[in-house]
Parts: sequence; structure tokens; C-alpha cells
Amino acid sequence: MRALYTAATGMMAQETNVQVISNNIANLRTTGYKRQRAQFQDLLYETLRRAGAVTAAAGQQVPAALEIGAGVKTVSTARAMSQGPISSTEREYDVAIRGDGFLRVVLPDGATAYTRDGSLNLDAQGQIVTSDGYLIDPTIAVPETAVKVTISPTGIVQALLQGEVAAQDIGQIQLSTFVNKSGLSSLGDNLFAETSASGPPSTGNPGEENRGNLQQYYLEEANVNAVTEISNLISAQRAYEMNSKVVTASDQMSSTTSQMFRG
Amino acid sequence: MENALLVGLSRQITLQRNLDVIANNVANMNTTGFKSRGVNFEEFVSPTARADTLPRTQRRVSYVADRGTNLDFTNGPVEVTGNPLDIALRNNTLLAVQTTTGFKYTRNGSLALDQNGTLVTSDGERVLVGGGSITINPGTTGVSIAGDGTVESADGPLGRLQIVEVTDPSQLNNLGANVYGTRTQLPELPTAQIVPGALERSNVQPILEMSRLIEVNRAYSSLASMQQRLDETRRSAVERLATVQ
Repeated sequence: MRALYTAATGMMAQETNVQVISNNIANLRTTGYKRQRAQFQDLLYETLRRAGAVTAAAGQQVPAALEIGAGVKTVSTARAMSQGPISSTEREYDVAIRGDGFLRVVLPDGATAYTRDGSLNLDAQGQIVTSDGYLIDPTIAVPETAVKVTISPTGIVQALLQGEVAAQDIGQIQLSTFVNKSGLSSLGDNLFAETSASGPPSTGNPGEENRGNLQQYYLEEANVNAVTEISNLISAQRAYEMNSKVVTASDQMSSTTSQMFRG
Repeated sequence: MENALLVGLSRQITLQRNLDVIANNVANMNTTGFKSRGVNFEEFVSPTARADTLPRTQRRVSYVADRGTNLDFTNGPVEVTGNPLDIALRNNTLLAVQTTTGFKYTRNGSLALDQNGTLVTSDGERVLVGGGSITINPGTTGVSIAGDGTVESADGPLGRLQIVEVTDPSQLNNLGANVYGTRTQLPELPTAQIVPGALERSNVQPILEMSRLIEVNRAYSSLASMQQRLDETRRSAVERLATVQ
């Protein structure tokens, strides 16, 4: 009886589903978080009788095949890279990206990572860093005497120095886009890395092509919809339960079979 | 009496396969675009004793055999995802994918772009647009799919997805991974409508599957008890005949 194993694949798939949903719910308030969705596919089928097989000398054919599937597998946990809602924070170094772009971040080992989390800060040298202290690329240093910093929608960073009337340009924030954003690998800490599936980054100034604009004093919230996640959770839990019922039924049938034998 | 045992056995074997089919349906309850299967049974008449004029013990005996699994092609519920490359197919339509051998179609409308910008299924197989695959240049904005299946960008329409009509679901052969194979090419349906920004969920009806599960389980155990009774009858027959002396 295959049913036992088929139902087991169903239970495993629903377990993965619950894991993905709980991660989404856990990151409901994570800046720049993109929700994941577990995707499933059916497994191979065993064809016990092929459609179109000839059944008689006159050429009659089997109209429908006898195909029995072997269950389900989890194929991907694709991220929905849609825009999250933008909320006001009134912090000078908070920027939200409205569009498809990612900020470039230099990791301590020199590698480049990408993030949607625009909660920036200054480090001890006055350079703009992420909330983890990683430099953004290209590096922008804010002079010590700056009293006000503005970041334009196109990424131009200007500082108004003490005692001056006109702000001066101190740098340009750049954004990268990918052909297949869902192909980025997740590094945790709100960071993503380029993979062969995502394609190489296309880097440039915000506001050009489809990179999107920057919005100072705002942050992008997670694009998780709590209601959707909770209903998905309920449906996953019920599906798990029903798969366990199939396991029970299959077990009962096996036990009936073994009780048929009475020495 | 031997026949009764064998008839019961034939039903028990088909019940086990029926359970396998139910298990596969339940396991795929959350698989995008999955279509449930049912089992067709038929009477299988023992070919050895043919004429009805034969003595009662030699008359035809009916067994049961499962001759096919039928694909239930009704629509599954539509779940709005908001992803511009997600589509939900409706009614008896399928989406053609590129293949080197035979013809392959899928009902899973969770599409994506690969590293070259080619429109692919969630398994990385190229989706047929017009006659071939479609590649979207990096930097193209506003890529989406319209309700008539046309892939569009901010620069205008790029081509129409090849949506085919399924006239007879029994022609479809499950290849796994949400893909169906056919031996003949299915006709393209130019009037097909899709639901953009949504996915079709599996059309498995949990209540139906659970009731079938109970039915299969009960039928199996009642057959088992019938066979036990037959066995007891035979045992007592042997005992009594042996105590004649």
C-alpha cells in the first residue's frame, strides 16, 4: 500500500508550508522583508495501464489511463518581491525604496550584498552604514559639521554645513536591479546575494529605468499580509490533519489485512 | 466458494489502489493548479465459464477491476497573489511549455523570469509565447500579463501566451511536477481568458476525499470479515466431514 508513504509526503509538505508561514508572521514588522510562499508539485505517476493501449484486435483503445501518483514535493519557497507599505519614521537616515531597486552593501569580507532595508546610520568615521554597521556602496562620508542631510528621490545626498546657506553634494546613493529578483539568495539580516539564477545586477542612479525612487524619512515595511498568512496557516493545518487521517486509514486497512489470518 | 474468496480479493486490491489515489489527492491539496483524480471500476467477467446454461457452480463470475483514473478538470478556487507574473487558467485550458520531445502543458500559472529574462514556469521550463519562448530585456519596466494572455511591458505588448484547449481530459498523461503530456498537439484557443495576478489552487475537495476515505476503509474491512466467515464455513465443513467415522 503506497498510500502510507504518499500521505507522509503530504504531511512533510504541509510542515514546510507551516514553517514558511510562521517565518512570514515572525517577520511581520521586519523592515524591507519580502514574504515567501511554499510552492508544491506532484511527484511522478505510476502508469498501470496506459491510455491508448490497444485492447482488442479491432483496434479499440483504452480511453483513460490508470495512473497513480506518489505524492507531493516542495519545489521552491519563492519570494514575492512586491512593494511593501511605506511608513513615516521622521529619521534623517531612513530611506524607503519605491520601485524594484536594492541598496548595495559591502560585507566585512568584501563581498557585495543587496538589501531593501533603508534604515541607515552613521559610523564612527561619519560614513553612511546599514543598521548592522556595513558600509553602503558607493561610500558616502558625512562631514562632522553637517547640520542637516537631505537625500533626494534620485539618490543625491546633500549636507548643509554649519554656518553656510547652500547645501553641498556629498555623494550619490546607487541602486541595483535584477532580471529575476526571486532568484536572489537570502543571507538573513535583511540581506540578499546575487546568484546565477538572479542574473547579474544592473546598477545605476535611482529614478532611472525601473530602479525606483528613494524616499527620505520613510521605511518600507514587510509586504506580509497578516490575514492572508493566518488563513494560509489554517488551511495548512487542516491539510496536515487530513493527510494524517489517510495515514490512519491506511494503517487500519493494513491491520484488517493482518487480522484476516487466523492460523 | 473459492470464487467468493477471489471476488472479494479482487475488490480488496482495487480498494488499496483507490486509497493510493485518495492519498495522492490529499497530499496535493495545496499544489498550485493540481487536478484531482478518481478511479473508474468495471465489472470483469471471468472468461472461463461462458454459457448461462451451465450448472450454477459453473456460471459466470463477476470480479471487479480498476480500469482507469479519470482526471477531474473542474476549476480550482482562485487565490489573488498580486504577483504580476502569476496567472490563473480557467475552464478546460492549459499553458504550453517548450519541450524537445512530445507536447507538454501545465496548469500551474506561477511564472517567473530566469537569469536571462526568459519567461519560465516555477520549474524553469520555458513558456511558449507565440511560437517560441520570450525574453524580456533587463531594464524593461511594467512587465505583466493581461486578461487575454498577452505579455505586456511599458513599451507595449510582447506576445501572447500559447493557451490550448483540452477537449478530452483523458488524453492527458500526468508527468509529475504539474506537467501533463499528450501524444497529439492540443489546439490553441485564441479566445481564452485568464485571471492575471492570481493563482489557481488545487481542485481537491477535502470533504469528498475524506468521505471516500471512510468508504474505502469500511468496504475493505467488511470484505475482510466476509472472507473470515467464508473461512470459518470451510473450516467447520472440514471438521464435520472429518468426524464422520
